[in-house]
Amino acid sequence: MDVLDNYKKVWENQPEEVSKFSALEIYKMAHSKSSSIVKWIFIIGILEFVILNSLYFFIDTKEAMKEYEKLGIENFVFYTQIAAYIILFYFLWMFYQNYKKISTVDSTKILMKKIIKTRKTVRNYVLFNLGYIALVIIVVTIANINTNFDDLNSKQLLLIIFSTLIATILILGIIWLFYQLLYGILLRKLNKNYKELAKLDSIN
Amino acid sequence: MQKDLETKFLSDFEQNQNIAHKICRIYTTNKDAHNDLFQEITIQLWKNYPKFRGDSKFSTWMYRVALNTAISLYRKSTKRVRTQDINDVAFKIKSNDYDDTEERQLKALYEAIHKLNDIDKALIFLYLEDKPYKEISETLGISSVNARVKMNRAKEKLKNILNP
Repeated sequence: MDVLDNYKKVWENQPEEVSKFSALEIYKMAHSKSSSIVKWIFIIGILEFVILNSLYFFIDTKEAMKEYEKLGIENFVFYTQIAAYIILFYFLWMFYQNYKKISTVDSTKILMKKIIKTRKTVRNYVLFNLGYIALVIIVVTIANINTNFDDLNSKQLLLIIFSTLIATILILGIIWLFYQLLYGILLRKLNKNYKELAKLDSIN
Repeated sequence: MQKDLETKFLSDFEQNQNIAHKICRIYTTNKDAHNDLFQEITIQLWKNYPKFRGDSKFSTWMYRVALNTAISLYRKSTKRVRTQDINDVAFKIKSNDYDDTEERQLKALYEAIHKLNDIDKALIFLYLEDKPYKEISETLGISSVNARVKMNRAKEKLKNILNP
């Protein structure tokens, strides 16, 4: 360690920062707005909850309900929507609880773990939504086939199933890819650092 | 009450602000980023100050909050090190009562540290600040054994960069 010992001395002897901040400048800084990753995670998380739930405003619910009634699945839609709202509030609550627990006074590892956990809550909510959308598409398709079963030949039937399947996978896939990108950009540095720290624990 | 707390915080932080400057110099490579990170550290310190009970030294507590801010909270990536930015750093630490060789060595040290990853930067910083392993492991949240292993690797990396 000879080389580093020498550098350590140099480090210890380094002069104090020349452009120190005055108490007034520190006061102003302390009261300014944070632009930390945690804050962005909170804002983007809230936005995701809002955007996902405002999608319903673009759908004419009365028209949609009529369609559902025609297909005989209005009960299914009604109950799953209630369940979806309960689940939404569960996720929102978890998200807020996890967010509140984030503290820079924790050790580095625990802090990173908590940030990642908070972010994962939103990711799980998005996953749940994608699953819900897929379920509705599948149920509607099945109900559609059921009501029009007599008018369809097997070729048409296969075509409907096949095209619905492709469309579902495509839509969900694109949303998921976009989401992974956003998630990746936000947490890339943090994930890398967390792995770097956690790597040690698995070695010993 | 709030006023007292504020006054105490300002005096505590003003005395110890050099710690934050050193961390900013390690994690950023230009003046704007330095001040950005310094501001975020200040925000985090003030936000958590009411919970600081004084059972540890202010500086010890500050190391943790400031390093956490630099590693996990700070948004900007410090991946690219531009030569002009390094001169910026060198300019900041230039001083008359500091001899030439030492100045060159200090500049080389900062340049080498900039090439390390965020975790290694923290380890090396705590080593240079002469912190005991117990404090290092508690700050990072890893066991002492792990801290030692990791520290030795970080030192090796640093030595390789300094003397290729």
